[in-house]
Amino acid sequence: MKGRDTKPDDLKASIEAVEPRPGYTDEKTGKKTPGELELVVRMKNDADRALHYISDVRATRYDPNTKILTVALSDEGREVIPGAIMKLPVFRRIDPGSTAEIHITVPDRIIKLSRNAPPGEIAFETHPLSEAREVVVEIAWAEVPYYKDTRGKDDNRLPAARWEQHKARSTKPMRGGGRTPKK
Amino acid sequence: MALFILEDAAGIGNDQIDTFQAFIDCVIIANDDGVGLNDPAGGRQQVTYARTENGPPQLRLDALVNTTFTPDYGSGPQQVDTVVIPGLAGFTLDDGTDFRHNGTALAPNSSGLAGASLNTTEFCLVIYDTQQNICVARQGSGDIDLPISNPVVLYHEFSHAFRIVNNGLLALTGECDPSSPEENAAITDENDLRTQIANRQGETPALRDPGIHCGAVGCDGGCCIIATVASKSLNSKQIQFLRSVRDHFVRSTEVGYAFFQKFFYDYYSFSPQVCTIMVGNPEIPGHLLEGYINPLLDFWKVMIERSGNNFSDAELGAAFVRHHPDRAAAQSRLEALQSTVAYWMQEETEGNSAPAELLTLLRERAWPSEYMQWALVAPVRIYHDVLTRYLAGADEAAIGRAFNNELDTWAPEIPISDVWAALSAEEVVKELEFCENVLLQSPASKKRFHQRLLDRFADITSVDVVLNGLTANAGVVQ
Ligand SMILES: [Zn+2]
Repeated sequence: MKGRDTKPDDLKASIEAVEPRPGYTDEKTGKKTPGELELVVRMKNDADRALHYISDVRATRYDPNTKILTVALSDEGREVIPGAIMKLPVFRRIDPGSTAEIHITVPDRIIKLSRNAPPGEIAFETHPLSEAREVVVEIAWAEVPYYKDTRGKDDNRLPAARWEQHKARSTKPMRGGGRTPKK
Repeated sequence: MALFILEDAAGIGNDQIDTFQAFIDCVIIANDDGVGLNDPAGGRQQVTYARTENGPPQLRLDALVNTTFTPDYGSGPQQVDTVVIPGLAGFTLDDGTDFRHNGTALAPNSSGLAGASLNTTEFCLVIYDTQQNICVARQGSGDIDLPISNPVVLYHEFSHAFRIVNNGLLALTGECDPSSPEENAAITDENDLRTQIANRQGETPALRDPGIHCGAVGCDGGCCIIATVASKSLNSKQIQFLRSVRDHFVRSTEVGYAFFQKFFYDYYSFSPQVCTIMVGNPEIPGHLLEGYINPLLDFWKVMIERSGNNFSDAELGAAFVRHHPDRAAAQSRLEALQSTVAYWMQEETEGNSAPAELLTLLRERAWPSEYMQWALVAPVRIYHDVLTRYLAGADEAAIGRAFNNELDTWAPEIPISDVWAALSAEEVVKELEFCENVLLQSPASKKRFHQRLLDRFADITSVDVVLNGLTANAGVVQ
């Protein structure tokens, strides 16, 4: 029996909690543990088939103008660059009508290369995420499990960006972050 | 002038960058004291290098440090220096990629090479996490279980940097298996350093598979107390056994993997320091071997035999006795256990010869962890009780009964990770089947474990559906 067609909002996400975990330095070893934000995200599958989604953070973006922090569980928009390793996404499956919960962490500050450094110098911008007014989580999903795309290599996207069909989104005002902005 | 380590920069401050670690990593690559750092200028310290060795890592470092590179990316030759940015927590590129547990080499902005648009400077930037804990593919097996140390990560990125400053970057793809030509070349270079470091230490090199660039966070690397004690006293077959315990019980399943992630996190919060303390206290490994490690090994040996076989009391007792054929040896094992309990597990007391720093470390880091308690402390306590009973003359059935009772109380208290909440119903069934098969054999211990899962994940559909389904079915059967 063929079920109904899957709709782009069949996988729903909701951010249940955003907990800061302060960093600290171990006095004995000098090892620094950087601060983090832990997010608890609830998933719900309204489709009548199992759906497949990415369950780990692939990109963290912060816009200092809108003060919106976007945590992407998606490879869309990420560039292919050299690296020590390539970390494949962690994929999970959610049954029809089911709920699930994932815990994810991001650093509690974002440091980016500044585009305003004088020539020949390196400068950074630091954005403590405690300043964020709103957090957005985007979760890539598809109706089928991740599979390797064996077509030609002229597509510059990461493989999981080619696989994803939709994104589940949830937004939440940050604690002490002021009003929820209008869309 | 060509290679620098960032020391300070506008927008961050000099306590944010792990300059010293990058310097140490360069010294390890060079393997001599010919590496130096000039005084900071413009927030960076220039690396100097008077080479004495002729291996590939030394020649590569020499080239990066002592060559002025002037690649022509299309608009005429330009000088490109390389700047290392080590251990900057929270560093994130414009596309959202961060470098926790990774590294990269970014080509200058105007070069047009891969990653160039993410680099706002005309330097070649080498960025790496100095607190990384990653695993890469082992040559031979292809398993992602080979640790990668900081100098090896840095040297891998130097390989990319070298081709960037020579305008010789090879093709990159989004695939990690098979790896792209560029990554294949960097891993091949990385293996030169792995080979050299292993040779310096008189070890057989463990190499990375150049054909696979995939990796994962969390590796069983670093100093492990058990392995250190074992390598001094056990043969490699016994060390292999320890690995098989891990693989047998947990590594292959989602829940088991999550268990080990947490277990290693807690374990490596004290294990490396214990190893340091052992260097100054050579009597410790001797205490530990017969008084802790061997009992732990024997406990898990019996557990492996038991898993998959629903042992009766008599069968379990017989298995324990079979592992202890020599009563005199068992008696001295018991004495060693008791002296270890006094030495290792207890509070600081008058006349206790264990170093205070060791006891503090264990009290603060090891014993408060539910993972350490469940996997490393309770099993040895259970073993101690069973061994005492055996030596007091109990028969196999009585030994097995006591053993089974203790296991039924201990097993269902295994720490439960968040990963259960993210599993589908089918996966919950599979994971549960595995747990029940290897650990939770009696109805009482299954029931207790189900209850703990239900208490923790009351509103998670998959857990609820499976466990309440099981309860309903059990009701019909009975
Ligand atoms: Zn690489």
